[in-house]
Amino acid sequence: MSARKITIEPVTRIEGHGRVTIHLNEQGEVEQTFFHVDEFRGLEKFCEGRPYLEMPQITQRICGICPVSHHLAAAKACDGVARVEPPRPAKLLRELIHMGQIIQSHGMHFFHLAAPDLLLGFDADPKDRNVFGIIKANPELAVKAVHLRRYGQQIISRLGGGKRIHPNLCVPGGVNAPLTIADRDAIAAELEGMTEIGKIALSVARGWLESNKALADMFASFPSNYMGLVDEEGGLQLYDGEIRVKDADGKYLAQFKSEAYLSHIGEHVEPWSFLKHPFYRKQGFPQGFYRVGPLGRMNVIDKIGTPLANEEFKQFRTINSGKPVEGSLYYHYARMIELLYGLERVGQLLDDPDILSKDVRNYPKLQLPGHGVGVIEAPRGTLIHDYSTDENGILTRVNLIVATGNNNWAMHTASGAVAKAFVNGNKLTEGMLNRVEAAIRCYDPCLSCATHAIGKMPLEITLMAADGTELDRIAR
Amino acid sequence: MIRTLVIGFGNLDRADDGVAFHVVNAFRRRRGQAALDEGNTGLEELGAPVDSVFIGQLVPEMIDMLDDYDRVVFVDAHVDPALDDLYCAAVSTDEAGLTFTHHMSPATLLAFFKALNGRDLEGHLVSIRGRDFDFHRDLSVEAIPLVEPAVDRILDLLGRGI
Repeated sequence: MSARKITIEPVTRIEGHGRVTIHLNEQGEVEQTFFHVDEFRGLEKFCEGRPYLEMPQITQRICGICPVSHHLAAAKACDGVARVEPPRPAKLLRELIHMGQIIQSHGMHFFHLAAPDLLLGFDADPKDRNVFGIIKANPELAVKAVHLRRYGQQIISRLGGGKRIHPNLCVPGGVNAPLTIADRDAIAAELEGMTEIGKIALSVARGWLESNKALADMFASFPSNYMGLVDEEGGLQLYDGEIRVKDADGKYLAQFKSEAYLSHIGEHVEPWSFLKHPFYRKQGFPQGFYRVGPLGRMNVIDKIGTPLANEEFKQFRTINSGKPVEGSLYYHYARMIELLYGLERVGQLLDDPDILSKDVRNYPKLQLPGHGVGVIEAPRGTLIHDYSTDENGILTRVNLIVATGNNNWAMHTASGAVAKAFVNGNKLTEGMLNRVEAAIRCYDPCLSCATHAIGKMPLEITLMAADGTELDRIAR
Repeated sequence: MIRTLVIGFGNLDRADDGVAFHVVNAFRRRRGQAALDEGNTGLEELGAPVDSVFIGQLVPEMIDMLDDYDRVVFVDAHVDPALDDLYCAAVSTDEAGLTFTHHMSPATLLAFFKALNGRDLEGHLVSIRGRDFDFHRDLSVEAIPLVEPAVDRILDLLGRGI
């Protein structure tokens, strides 16, 4: 038998479009796997020449899925360019809208994208292995998921000038409006019910992983570094903090302020993907690759500053006896811990006496040219916006390292590990290929963001012989 | 009494992609209602036998709102040259996609509603072919003359009580 190539295109139930090629040797065994992102957008280039003040609005439009993340990271970078520190109430409001996004994004991913595999089975008929299958299996759970997403979106809308997508809140130096008592009370009124839904979601994720521990411990499980923001006590921090990097054994590699990221993070390009591969510089590429997002964060932090999520975090840390948890499927558990944290954090923020303050903006004494770096923990991982301007505030350089991009090599590694474990090139099944996709899905990638791209790709799986002859083709 | 919701959706900043905004407002004017301005979706004014809104996209959480209606008329822009410039069709849940993320098609929304609530909503689509999707708010010369005929089709659907 000649060597063959299996292509999964696009990878389904993720944001954006990706392609996986699985190269088999002559015995039909998986030899190599590549996760390709074939879209290109070029936001970093076309933003050059724009006034830096536009970036909180422009960069939101990279994506309709996680616009708030870009809005916040851009605002923080603009704070740096303008050399202005927002007042505390503004930071609280920025963090509050961020929690709205965490809640809606994590809730949507778990229930609609991940749950079909977990609750219906990797080998379930694709006609049923989707959100409609979840509705049939557990309609109450599906309704709760919708309400959770709605709640997160309403937080965003209430703070974002009435807009759920591409909200209008942040300006350099703060935000453009304080929170009203009516909005605060409306958000608070539903919080208890939503927190109960968050607990249910967490118990579903935890329960599934406990029942499938052997699978979870081997599925796309590999050592890596981990990266995420931490607060001054080493606790989970999604809006602001220092960047911490730990190695596969949980040892500290680095902790640094956002502005110093280029001293620690490099970007590598491979010819088979438009998505860059960030890595920890001191270890070089690919050894220095790291994972971000929920699993990355749980593996770098020391604690969580809300009580219920912190208790879950303590349980999480027992999975690998206090060492970093390596199995990609544990992203789902980590994600639900963060969902619960987001809900609890909303409560803490609403109870803060400064949340209704009218002191929401500091005005800069501009000293241009300027340079600013804004880093936040987006739902999918560490997001970095880096802007430089000329003396007129016009952008001369933009660098974006987007959350999903940080996980690029990890997704490539994950898809390869699962392909090796589950794909038998002599007998292909849809379930095998779904497992490869499920590995990528653990990372909740937003490929549109990561390549600043939107694409429309046909859905095809092609099997290619070593000489390029097409052996088989499946359309989903 | 059949309660109807007219949902226009699209992006006002992308020329013809926002044509539904103009259709919904023309519809509202014909019925003696105030037009929606850019900051007002109409979602705060629901409760009449016939309501009309304009939103950016269809999203899962709309199912709560849909529970108050029996019939939904979706209004949007399309780009398919094989379809009529003013394309009107029933929306069938058979055409629903099997999954969605943060936005969905009319068929998928109605299928999602049916799956969760156990009842069908009567669905219709009134769609204008767009030719210009550039970054501005003006409609193309081809789309403008289709706005009032689109309103005629919506009123026809309501009048026929189908």
